Amino acid sequence: MITIQLALFAKFSSRYPDPGSGRGARAHDIADGTTVGALVADLGLATERRITFVNGRHAPDDRQLAEGDRVAFFPPVAGG
Amino acid sequence: MHPVDPVACTSNQAAVRARLAQSSVGIIGAGGLGSNAAMMLVRSGVGRLVIADFDRVEESNFNRQLYFPDQLGRPKVEALAETLRRISPELELTIVGERVTRANIARFFAHVDVLIEAVDTAEGKVEIVEAASDLLPDTPLVWAMGLAGCGSANEIATQRVGENVWVIGDLTADIREGLPLIASRVMVAAAQEAHVAIRVLLGMPEA
Repeated sequence: MITIQLALFAKFSSRYPDPGSGRGARAHDIADGTTVGALVADLGLATERRITFVNGRHAPDDRQLAEGDRVAFFPPVAGG
Repeated sequence: MHPVDPVACTSNQAAVRARLAQSSVGIIGAGGLGSNAAMMLVRSGVGRLVIADFDRVEESNFNRQLYFPDQLGRPKVEALAETLRRISPELELTIVGERVTRANIARFFAHVDVLIEAVDTAEGKVEIVEAASDLLPDTPLVWAMGLAGCGSANEIATQRVGENVWVIGDLTADIREGLPLIASRVMVAAAQEAHVAIRVLLGMPEA
């Protein structure tokens, strides 16, 4: 297992495995070799339009996550 | 942009104006966010802007965007250019009248000091944010989401999500599509986008 820092923004925050812990980023354990895409599927976000950042930069779904990575998912919403 | 020493913002208006006059900001989208952010940047003294939008002025824009009835039907970038030059005749302005995509973003925005995402569709935001992060990783990026609705404007906040990436918006509420766009709340987000950009230009980026 490895531990990442997971941040789910706005409506995605209801998908935290421990939603009772509030909306902020938190430590999250995943299997070695987990990709962004696999994590997204685990969180039930596979069909959601999203913007993915890993360590402050956009990351594609085939990016393999590493210990300590900061992973953030944003639901883009229209309006401007 | 190279790192800059923070300008003594509290005590030296001339130094701030001088720094901003040499600076450039790119704005993708000239709607409620982009047109108002552009106005605030020009009034603050930013010397160069690159603004892209492919739309024309419509009546539905008047509730929050910086356009006027006598500009109906004109390309937004042309109408906005006219208004911005009335505020600051010496402004160096480049207008781009086409849709910004992954294929052309670097061509138009490779040389700006800060880039502001100000498009109005969710798909557009995904494309611009991803492309900017991938293709212009050294250009500070400010983007926005979650500004619609009648909720408190205090909910619209700035969050640093990368070394040089900031997101503005109501990031905690369960924002969703289809909420009304209120001028005052949209302009809070536009002002935050402009101000985050200005703080980057002054060497005191939002923490």
